[in-house]
Amino acid sequence: MLELKKLSMQFGALKSLSELDLTVNKGEIVSVIGPNGAGKTTLFNVVTGIYTPTSGEVLLDGKSIAGKDPADVNRLGIARTFQNVRLFLNMSVIENVMAATYANTKSNIFSSALGLPGARREEKAVRERAEELLNFFGSRLTGYRWEQPAYSLSYANRRRLEIARALATNPKVLLLDEPAAGMNPKETQEITDVIGRLRAEKDLTILVIEHDMHVVEGISDRVIALDHGVKIAEGNFDSVATHPDVVEAYLGKGSADRK
Amino acid sequence: MGYLGQQLVNGLTLGGIYALIALGYSLVYGVLQILNFAHGDVYMVGAFIGYFVEIALGGPSHTKVPVPVMIFIMFAVSMIGTGLLGIVIERFAYRPLRKSSRIAPLISALGVSILLQNAALLLFSANIRTYDTSSFIPSTAGFSIGSVNIDSVRFAVLILAMLLMFTLSKWVNKTQVGRAMRAIAVDRDAAVMMGIDIDRVIRWTFFVGAALAGAAGVMNGLLLRGVSNGMGFIPGLKGFTAAVIGGIGSIPGAMAGGLLLGVVESLTQGYLSTNFSDFYTFILLIAVMLLRPNGLFGKKAIVKA
Amino acid sequence: MSEDTSKLGIGTDEWVAQHEKRLQRRSGALGIVDLLNQRVSNKVRYSALGVAAIVFGLFVHNLYLLRIASNLGVFLMMTLGINIVMGFAGLLDLGFVAFYGFGAYAYALTSSSQLNQHWPTYLSVPAIVIATAFLGYLVSLPSRRLFGDYLAIVTLFFGQIFIQLVLSSDSITFPGHTDSTDITGGSNGIPGLDPFKLFGRAFKSTSDYYWLLLIVITLLLIAVVRVNRTRVGRAWRTVREDPLASQSMGIKVNNLKTLAFVVGAAIAGLAGAIFAGIQSAVFINGFDIPLLTLIYAAVILGGSGSIPGSIIGAFVMSVLPEILRVQNYSEFLFLAVLVITIGVIGKNWKKLAINIVSLIAIGYFVKALFSLSHMTTTPTKTWAIAPVSKALQYWLVLPANRIVWGNMAFIALVALVAYYSIAHEKIKPWLLPIIAYIAIFVWEDRLVADASTTRQLIIGAMLVVMMIVRPQGFLGKTRVEVL
Repeated sequence: MLELKKLSMQFGALKSLSELDLTVNKGEIVSVIGPNGAGKTTLFNVVTGIYTPTSGEVLLDGKSIAGKDPADVNRLGIARTFQNVRLFLNMSVIENVMAATYANTKSNIFSSALGLPGARREEKAVRERAEELLNFFGSRLTGYRWEQPAYSLSYANRRRLEIARALATNPKVLLLDEPAAGMNPKETQEITDVIGRLRAEKDLTILVIEHDMHVVEGISDRVIALDHGVKIAEGNFDSVATHPDVVEAYLGKGSADRK
Repeated sequence: MGYLGQQLVNGLTLGGIYALIALGYSLVYGVLQILNFAHGDVYMVGAFIGYFVEIALGGPSHTKVPVPVMIFIMFAVSMIGTGLLGIVIERFAYRPLRKSSRIAPLISALGVSILLQNAALLLFSANIRTYDTSSFIPSTAGFSIGSVNIDSVRFAVLILAMLLMFTLSKWVNKTQVGRAMRAIAVDRDAAVMMGIDIDRVIRWTFFVGAALAGAAGVMNGLLLRGVSNGMGFIPGLKGFTAAVIGGIGSIPGAMAGGLLLGVVESLTQGYLSTNFSDFYTFILLIAVMLLRPNGLFGKKAIVKA
Repeated sequence: MSEDTSKLGIGTDEWVAQHEKRLQRRSGALGIVDLLNQRVSNKVRYSALGVAAIVFGLFVHNLYLLRIASNLGVFLMMTLGINIVMGFAGLLDLGFVAFYGFGAYAYALTSSSQLNQHWPTYLSVPAIVIATAFLGYLVSLPSRRLFGDYLAIVTLFFGQIFIQLVLSSDSITFPGHTDSTDITGGSNGIPGLDPFKLFGRAFKSTSDYYWLLLIVITLLLIAVVRVNRTRVGRAWRTVREDPLASQSMGIKVNNLKTLAFVVGAAIAGLAGAIFAGIQSAVFINGFDIPLLTLIYAAVILGGSGSIPGSIIGAFVMSVLPEILRVQNYSEFLFLAVLVITIGVIGKNWKKLAINIVSLIAIGYFVKALFSLSHMTTTPTKTWAIAPVSKALQYWLVLPANRIVWGNMAFIALVALVAYYSIAHEKIKPWLLPIIAYIAIFVWEDRLVADASTTRQLIIGAMLVVMMIVRPQGFLGKTRVEVL
């Protein structure tokens, strides 16, 4: 589904990613782990078109998408959330989701201004779709919250809303950047379930960056560990978590031996 | 050849003035990422201060002090006065907005610009004044290189502009405040955590930037251009253009941009058309923005996501 | 929403979510106004406004008032246009008045003897709107990659270029011709434009244009409100909020920026054409920075991004200058605003009373000092023309050299107001009546005589104060911004 071939990203002298190979199969949930500065978010930024890779290929369904505009990448079927949560804070909760249907809807400035039947129908459909997506999170984002500005949401709800917004673009592949960051244990468990349901109910292929090892263990079919832009381990959770290079990357040289 | 040389000298002098204005934009932008729209009006105030100092010292034809001393006092008073004005503007129009949206300081700056222009109109009336330089420095004074005549005022302005720019680069690179300024430009939060007194550095930045504009205002007056309340608008725009062409936030960029703009303007006026010279400047600005969006000396910024 | 609050259990999520609203609720008379305000829907407000406008058109035949109303209409079109560009899409377009000027000049050139073109209005106006929209597209092209500040300066420059081109296009020599052609009339402008001819009649009176404007603005308002709350409007707001996130959600940010520019330009072009029709002449100085600042001040005052805000801002900014022109009204308005300001700062009636009493006392004290010093005064006959100044003459000092004293007092006033904003809380109450006294002195002795400068000073000060005190404007919502 998503394939990276010898992908490199360099900022000046700093090699953020070097010759990274990575494949995510259809319907798979793959987690990317690694210490800070390992190049995880850079990876997402390259895949979603925010950065153009220095060299290498990004393939979606076998077609190259490297260097494409972020909007085009999204239209081809890759949606994402952001590590630092980038919602449209001064828009209402439901508008955040409705806005993300932009690429899949057609009504233009004239049909909206004239209130043509087609535009009205579409607007109604968009609203229903947004409500449906928000209901995906149970009672967390329903009812009175729809009309509230996004900035009034709690941190956990902002992360949920960001996922709902990403879903509204009808993606095939979903990239989640630290979906459980800043959540309490209960919320973390909830988000783990949500990620599982996303695959089951929405038929998505998911790539996750996550620091919380419980989440990683709970969701991943496969785990990839990065350090300094290089893949140091790949496989199921247990094999990667105990891999000596991974332990070393997190805890420093010699840790694996002492253990 | 003589004509070309003449135009080049004129362009460099004009460019020196633009560069001094551009430096103020760039310094402030580097530290605060604010576009100080009122900068052109600070330049206007500088020109007025120079004018009133001249009058206070006896006027153009009956100076009480030797001419070089008078010119020195004009520059000194004007630079200190505009420098203080810069600090005041920062304190009252920008500091309360440091934590607000990006558009708020722009609007506030627009307000300050309107205030300064109209306060000047109220206090000094709409009359256009001149320094009348030719009554104390004869226009025949000067020298020639080949067929290029350089009159002494023009020469002095050019040298002075270069001297001020040189002093500024030394100041930014060698003094503690200058270093702190560069540190803030790179990473404000980190600079604060390193114990840099950010308010003090910002005050200095505004003082220096505004003082340079004040000097440019006096130079403009000495070159026999009119002094009036609306005089700051176009040079302010040109100064900003110069800063953008050079890469905003970059000090050598502002200097190079200013000189380039001056020369281009002078050459287009000399060879193409007087009426449309601003039009060519505009084209130059658009071209630079399309080809090198970060300016000639600017560094490419990394988008953070 | 607020009526339901009582039914919610204290401490439930929804109750907590409305907490902020409860805190903001005001008590007393203002609270009742707020409550009434909430009960009235926007539809009712717009309809009331429309009815008022129709009644005005039917019963008011005073040419002066109709002129003001028509100018307000044109101005309102401009604020609605800039509200799209800046309020919705978040782009600071400082060349906006150039599109307006372009529309006006385009109408002048296609409907006058200047180039001997007399196009029918049905052809010229649509052509002008399309042409201005295209110009907006061209200007937006280099701006597509630019950030806020750069965009502002490029567009400001563009506006300046427009003025220069118009000014210097009065003697253009085309290649192959020896004599020069006057296209724009330079600084003399183009007089004698044809009136609009629509609905089978030539527009002879301002009243005709008033009705045309009423129709155009009604349609425009409906369109803007609808667009704002549907697909394109939402997308514009995402561009304003976070362009990067917007792009990552499949929204073509650059296209939407361009669209905002084009729509704004088209509206300005139409406004310009109608304005040219009303004036039946065009002059370039009407399209310069002062108008630009007036429009921006209107949108910011009302609240950037708020359509009712744009309407109120347009009212204030276009009718206020007319009021300031008449000394009688302006003095009265000034005193009223001064008293209200003191009241708002003091926050209660007692303090207001104390301030007013000390203000009056200061006035008599200064007057006494002044008469002891044997300085010459201005004869009251030359000064006390309007009722307010007639009343004030027994209280306010009138030095002989009013301009010099007024200037010095003006500088003192600016310095004191600035100092007040940073002064210690204990000093502020003492400062307030002194500032008020000097303000009255400056107003009566200096500002009243210089209405246009005064207007600009007020606008400038308002922009700065507004940004500091209430950047969202009177009707705008508080915005949260991540930096």
